[in-house]
Amino acid sequence: MIRFSLSWRLSQSLRWRLLLGTLAGLVLALVAAGFALSGLFADQAQRQFRSHLQLQLDQLTAALEIDAAGQPSLGSTLADPRWQQPYGGLYWQVDAPGRQGLLRSRSLWDSLLRLPGDGLPSGQTHEHRLSGPAGQPVLVLERQVIWSAGPSPSPSPAVGARSTGQLPAAEAAPGSWRLIVAQDLRELEAAQRRFDLTLAASLAVLGLALAAAAGAQLALGLAPLRRLQRAVQQVRVGDAQRLEGEFPAELHPLVQDFNGVLLQNEQVVLRARQTAGNLAHAIKTPLTVLANAAAQPRADLHTFATLVDEQVRSARAQVEWHLARARIGGSGVPGLRSPVAPVLEGLLRVMRKVHAGRELRFDCDWEPDTLAFAGESQDLHEMLGNLLDNACKWAHDRVAVHAHAEGRRLLVTVDDDGPGLGAAERERVFERGTRADERQPGSGLGLAIVREVAQLYQGQVRLEASVLGGLRASLELPLA
Amino acid sequence: MRVLVVEDEAALAGQIARTLQDRGYVVDRASDGREAWYQGGVQDYDAILLDLGLPVLDGLSVLRRWRSEGMLSPVLVLTARDQWHEKVAGIDAGADDYLSKPFHMEELLARLRALIRRAGGHASALLSCGPLELDTRSARVSLQGQPLVLTAQEFKLLAYLMHHAGDLVSRTELTEHLYAQDCERDSNTIEVFIGRLRKKLPAGLIETVRGMGYRLQAPDDGAGR
Repeated sequence: MIRFSLSWRLSQSLRWRLLLGTLAGLVLALVAAGFALSGLFADQAQRQFRSHLQLQLDQLTAALEIDAAGQPSLGSTLADPRWQQPYGGLYWQVDAPGRQGLLRSRSLWDSLLRLPGDGLPSGQTHEHRLSGPAGQPVLVLERQVIWSAGPSPSPSPAVGARSTGQLPAAEAAPGSWRLIVAQDLRELEAAQRRFDLTLAASLAVLGLALAAAAGAQLALGLAPLRRLQRAVQQVRVGDAQRLEGEFPAELHPLVQDFNGVLLQNEQVVLRARQTAGNLAHAIKTPLTVLANAAAQPRADLHTFATLVDEQVRSARAQVEWHLARARIGGSGVPGLRSPVAPVLEGLLRVMRKVHAGRELRFDCDWEPDTLAFAGESQDLHEMLGNLLDNACKWAHDRVAVHAHAEGRRLLVTVDDDGPGLGAAERERVFERGTRADERQPGSGLGLAIVREVAQLYQGQVRLEASVLGGLRASLELPLA
Repeated sequence: MRVLVVEDEAALAGQIARTLQDRGYVVDRASDGREAWYQGGVQDYDAILLDLGLPVLDGLSVLRRWRSEGMLSPVLVLTARDQWHEKVAGIDAGADDYLSKPFHMEELLARLRALIRRAGGHASALLSCGPLELDTRSARVSLQGQPLVLTAQEFKLLAYLMHHAGDLVSRTELTEHLYAQDCERDSNTIEVFIGRLRKKLPAGLIETVRGMGYRLQAPDDGAGR
């Protein structure tokens, strides 16, 4: 269950992903730091412990005195009170060959430190870990001291060693002793434990503080997202038209794109409403006329049939006009690219087929082949299709299509060798299509649509006399 | 002339079929894509009217299948989708012409006549063979400039022969293209009408190829196209 909910949260929430990532890193870093610090402390503490014990061994060596009979004794008492206290934690012992515990500290009470009997070169120290008098672990340091002669004991192992080298044979009985000191390891362990506890506590506090900081940073960092969400929600419930407010630079492109989509959507809805309204109007008027005519049964059947036919034609023409306008594509979308050549080729296939009965000659030329229109392919089809269709309808036997680029504009001309149009007529064809509400569908529907689409793309269409003798239609559009 | 009308809307299909029958066409009907595909494959039509929005199999797919199977009859596409890129798609699928809905029956008839003429290799609306002239627009035949009075059956037979002037036309082909499936297919009927036509035409214009069929041929030049 927990695993499920965790993975669910991870996949669903950005906050959880970030938080979990940060926390995992944090815990890892703190644990690693804890181990490193604890290790460092243990190393240091052991070194100190050992050097302290070494000092004790040196003191013991210095205090050792051998009398004439060759019996060792302690010349001066050792300072640390723990030597005197039974099981006090600090112990010494002097072993003679074949006799363990010849001399020992009071703290050992009646027990002995039992060392493995390894032969040790004189002057060197050895370290052991043993079980002490009360069974506790102790660290043991031992040193072999060889006594050559004289009342004064060698103060240092180095001297002892030298003495060994120049052993005078006949003087006081020579001997060798093992000097041993030991210290309870529990002190070291307790210190380590105390340190570890303190360290863990401080690291835990540090971890909590860092986690809190990470949480705060997340909340701060994700706040703009929450603001964005609220803004989107406001748009959704209709309180706002756009995403409003200040957003960080990283979110700007998103906000701008979203606002762009909203704007486009708004225009589409607006156009859909207008089209629906126009369509309703276009049909309602003939319907009203028909209903009125039906309510006057005096009219004879022939007149009525003519009226019906007229009104149906009118309604049909209106519907076609509004549908054609409604089909005009977006154009608001930037970055659209529709290659011209395939569109022209497709349309020419249609023209050749549809006008197969008339021997039309097509002169085609588009340069370069990669020419493209910055808009929807459907709209290009609609414009060029209407122009080509007109040319083919009126042409005697020649139609010429040219397309080329001029700066940032795409220019397409369609020529025919038909009867052409007088200057006044050319004006009239376009005057019909200048104001939306006054536009009447009819013979000029095709050209009116072409102009409508072209204007939507900030382009234009012109009619002029063609060198072929008929009409030339020039279409100017944005180049992609 | 035998025409296949593929249209799923019964009212419109009925109107088209009646209009065509009135003008002397033999009409078969199909109301979905699969049926249309089958009919077009098994019967040789002089023309096919194909609606694009069909149930089961859409019109463009039917058309592509026909063309890939080598079906050569001219196809006039009827569509309410009259955007130019759709027209391009229709022509590229193998259509010969398109007509946007709604349309006038006269327009449909004119396009159909043009298609059938073009399929026979005739560029003009006026077909001629020697002294004979057939105006496909007005459905009138004249002999040496004088109007020729023909019955409906005689006209259908002569029109078919004139569209295929110079070609050998078998009796079966004539029966298939001139009579509806439910009519009695008796090749004797054809012989009777050929006999009547011959009486109204100059001798030797309709040649009988024994055991094969008939050939309409201008007396002077070999092929009367």
